[in-house]
Amino acid sequence: MDKVALELKNVSFTYPGAEVPVLQEVSFSLKKGDFVAVIGSNGSGKSTLCKCFNGLIPHYYTGDFEGEVMLLGESAEGKSVSELSRHIGYVYQDFENQLVRPTVMDDVCFTPLNYGLLDYRERGMRALELTGLHGMGREFIWQLSGGQKHLLALAGALAMDPDILVIDEPVAQLDPQHARQIYDILRRLNEQHGKTVVVIEHHAEFIAEYCRTVVLMDAGRLRWQKPVREALSSVDELLSLSIYPPDVTRAAWLLQPDRQTAAVYPLSSEEGQRCFTRRLSLSDIQETLAQPQIKDLHSTPSEVKPVVEMEHIRLSYRTIHKTLHPVLNGISLELFSGERVALIGNNGAGKSSLMKLIAGITAPTGGTVKVKGITVNGLPPERLAGIASYVFQNPEDMFIDDSVRGEIAYYLKARGLKDKDERVEAMLEAFRLQELAGRDARLLSGGQQRRVSLAIGAAVRPVVMLLDEPTANLDISTKQEMTRVLQALRGHVETVVIATHDMALVAEWASRIIVMSEGRILADGNKEEIFSDGQLLRRAGLAETQLMEMSRLLELPQICCSLEEFVARSEWRKEELVHGGSR
Amino acid sequence: MSTLKTRYTLTQSQKMMIFVLSMSLYGLSNMFTELIPSVQLGPVELSVEYFAFIPLTLCMLFHPLYAAVGAAVGEVIFGELMLGQFGGLGELEKFITFSLAMYIAGRMVSDPKNRRQVGIAAISGVAIHQFCSSVIDIVKVWVGVEELEAVKGLAESIVIIEGVGFLNDVLFSGILFALLPTMYLVPRLYGKIEPLLGMKPRERNMQYASGGGNRLSPKLLGGGIVLALVALGAELLSESGWSIGEFELPGAESHEASLIWVSMLAAALIAALAIVFTLRRASRRRQEAGQLDG
Amino acid sequence: MVEAVKRALNRISVEQIKLELLGTAYNSSSTFLGRLDPRMLLIWYLFFAVTPWFVYNRTILLGMFVFMVVTTVLSRVSPYIVFILCLGLVSQIGWMFLLSLFFGGGAESLLPMLTLTLKLSVISLASITVFSSLDPERLSDGLSALGVPDAFAFSLSYGYRILPTLLEEFHQILLSFRLRGQRPLKHGFLYMRTAAYYLRILVLVFYPLMLNTAKRSRTTVEALETRGYTYAVNNPQVKKLRLSYLVMQRRDWLFAAFSAVYVGLLFPLGTVFPNLIY
Repeated sequence: MDKVALELKNVSFTYPGAEVPVLQEVSFSLKKGDFVAVIGSNGSGKSTLCKCFNGLIPHYYTGDFEGEVMLLGESAEGKSVSELSRHIGYVYQDFENQLVRPTVMDDVCFTPLNYGLLDYRERGMRALELTGLHGMGREFIWQLSGGQKHLLALAGALAMDPDILVIDEPVAQLDPQHARQIYDILRRLNEQHGKTVVVIEHHAEFIAEYCRTVVLMDAGRLRWQKPVREALSSVDELLSLSIYPPDVTRAAWLLQPDRQTAAVYPLSSEEGQRCFTRRLSLSDIQETLAQPQIKDLHSTPSEVKPVVEMEHIRLSYRTIHKTLHPVLNGISLELFSGERVALIGNNGAGKSSLMKLIAGITAPTGGTVKVKGITVNGLPPERLAGIASYVFQNPEDMFIDDSVRGEIAYYLKARGLKDKDERVEAMLEAFRLQELAGRDARLLSGGQQRRVSLAIGAAVRPVVMLLDEPTANLDISTKQEMTRVLQALRGHVETVVIATHDMALVAEWASRIIVMSEGRILADGNKEEIFSDGQLLRRAGLAETQLMEMSRLLELPQICCSLEEFVARSEWRKEELVHGGSR
Repeated sequence: MSTLKTRYTLTQSQKMMIFVLSMSLYGLSNMFTELIPSVQLGPVELSVEYFAFIPLTLCMLFHPLYAAVGAAVGEVIFGELMLGQFGGLGELEKFITFSLAMYIAGRMVSDPKNRRQVGIAAISGVAIHQFCSSVIDIVKVWVGVEELEAVKGLAESIVIIEGVGFLNDVLFSGILFALLPTMYLVPRLYGKIEPLLGMKPRERNMQYASGGGNRLSPKLLGGGIVLALVALGAELLSESGWSIGEFELPGAESHEASLIWVSMLAAALIAALAIVFTLRRASRRRQEAGQLDG
Repeated sequence: MVEAVKRALNRISVEQIKLELLGTAYNSSSTFLGRLDPRMLLIWYLFFAVTPWFVYNRTILLGMFVFMVVTTVLSRVSPYIVFILCLGLVSQIGWMFLLSLFFGGGAESLLPMLTLTLKLSVISLASITVFSSLDPERLSDGLSALGVPDAFAFSLSYGYRILPTLLEEFHQILLSFRLRGQRPLKHGFLYMRTAAYYLRILVLVFYPLMLNTAKRSRTTVEALETRGYTYAVNNPQVKKLRLSYLVMQRRDWLFAAFSAVYVGLLFPLGTVFPNLIY
């Protein structure tokens, strides 16, 4: 256990042309068989650090490099990326671009074949086996789902049977079920096959559950390397770097009477159950929880005319095998003005398809879709814009101009609207983009790109705005910011629909939740109705947030959606102490 | 990029990036242009011949050799092989003339911000390519049709058709899909697309690393001539085959079949050798150029 | 005619084109020809791509043509592709014929041109048969075995990998342009305005696409580095290993033998009946 797999000694690196080094005197040693999470805010040098492992830095990215890298006890100096990559498998954050062959089998064999290993087929098969992709060897890569592609990228790295696996944000694009699946695989690789695993990860809950050691990067420096419990219990420090420990941990930190002591906090719901208890004196909560009761609009449809009407909608796609693949099976739905609708369900449940139907981008195979009484199916896209606007999951697909201002103004200019300048300014202000107005949207950070894409959608002043996974690929602090940005949409749009599997977002934002699975609507209701039914979420392939789980476990009167709410409703169980030490 | 030379130098992987970029983009566009219906006004066909602005733009922004060859490969792969329309050997001449024309156009630009220069280079690139392919097309019919002279008016009509085609391609496709978009894109992309590939933009008036102070360096001219000769050779080869055929047709009946067999086998062999040779040569040339750059 | 074009355009959605392209590009390996050795098929193709140029005997050409039709049917080529091919041939030859009439030629000029059509058809059908039968991996390995540079062979299979992604991205960006754009309110003379609008968008789409693809290429090339691509390029051993699965089997020999016998019989037949058809 104590053998060192990889060691960095005083490594500094500066990208060519850059003033400030991205890595400053980083020393770090990776123990064999460890499961490490690298955390840090955006731009802290996490990815750069990991690219030092296999020599991409300094061989591929040439720049000023100082220090020494030792791999398995040997100096990496003078070794090429190819040589080092035999021992280190790397899975990129945009893993799709690392799949370079047309079929699954070819791709997984690609690396061992390149190294001239005679048993490349067996290696490929074994890697597919390990990742649960066996039997898919003949599939074309574009036929795979996002989760399967990620598994394939992992399999491609595993085929070399590397000692070290580096995975950059393994779950960023996955729904909770698939995310868990990939982590379970990583754990198996770590525990049963002795692989050293390094992940760059934002999701503290996964770190808490799966990792053993945490490395914190801050502004190019390695601040510390600690066992996971100790690491995540440094709530103050992490929050100051916009890194969010698990909700349970934060709740404990908030409720712990004595914060000064170097305490360790609970990390998971089960541990939390032992530490918290239901707050009995409810009198003082009443005012803190004086939330405005949202009027349940869909219970009184007779009064209001719906904004969106869908009746018995069916949708199937033609596949290249000339067969029909059903996506939506008879959906009837009415959406009303002022609603904040969350469409939830796992990947492939039909959420995006449903939204594309409302936006008129795809036409249903059967049934009609009406928005404000206008039948949208069959309209050319140019006519749809003022009615519904659809914000793609990948913001880059929406960027067609060369500046943020240009992106927002494009629609207004095309229509020659008189008030276009004011409208653009208003949007820039509402989404806090004034300072970025002249920049190219493609070069912005993930969160900024999202804001631009929302501003583009809102500038149209549509009746309905449809957002596909607005928080995908964002780190937690940016996610929290998104929730606030979404509030900015009010006043510009009548109805907002979000397709997501980010339960925290749903819990904080939505007024109505529609659960979808396999092209059908499983449930439709408000937060309480949906979240109190734990089975329902699981059936839809979704996971509860920690707070929801805790609320259930502590038998709180209501499922809590925000940390504040939870803290108000529960208290610290004094007699219980957390057992310290790493797991 | 390890040292800051004034010359435009690229690492091996940067060359690969340019190649891949050019290949995928032009390949994709080629699929569409294959599918856009053409409008025929009499014998004149108003068609979108190709989106030449893509390779032209990339050739002007990056190292023209990799962009040009990448685009030509992209056309073969996406526009021909994938659509099942691969014309086989016929594509060889297209491959060579196209990459040559794009390369020359790229080399003509020394300052990507100078719209006039970009425009002239763009239209010249198209004109060079179209001229070469028109000439080759005429030669092809010459070879393919027995006793061309005997058919009255055929020779003239071919020349007319090709001539009109040439003018159409240069004036319609050339202006709409090469000149205008290139002039729009090059200055806009300059300085913006390069960082995405992790490289520095070409500096204005910067020279390529293939030596020579002159823009039309001896190497460029030499390379052009060699490529032109190869293209011509491929055609001449067919022509020589043609004359053999002519010679044998009136020959003794009993031997005819076997004679044709032999000649055909020889022709097939030569053609195969020619392909392998040219492709090898192209790749070697690429490597050599790479070494010169690196 | 413009009406027809417009109607056709309306019916053809990007989605359908995408499906058609993907179907053409990927639905192949299940055919009889697809299972043959790629090297043998490529050499077979080379023969039928070159010889027709040197043959003027119509009987032989017709015999070859019949053979090609059979193999085309066997390889289950998409009818759309065949249609495009026929259209191209007919229009090219048609105009040539009309013009030569104008220059004083007569119906007799049709005959040599028919021969030319026959030649071109044989050549085109041969290439359609072979290149739509071979799946990308086999094709690139076949080419590689015959000495085509590895960079080309790799690009080929990478092309097959990346095409759907590119199409998807193209589609999305096109949609963005259309969703936020304004189609001309009047079609204009001969639908010129509408056509210009669409063509303009089609060109503009490539601006974002170029930038996005540039980003993508960067990761891809970087990943290639970590996946040992450079190592393979510098080691001829690797190529040998990669191609070691290519073995001539009985059905390959049978197919080659049948082709040889068929063509071998055609020539005496053609010599005896040189004017079997016209």
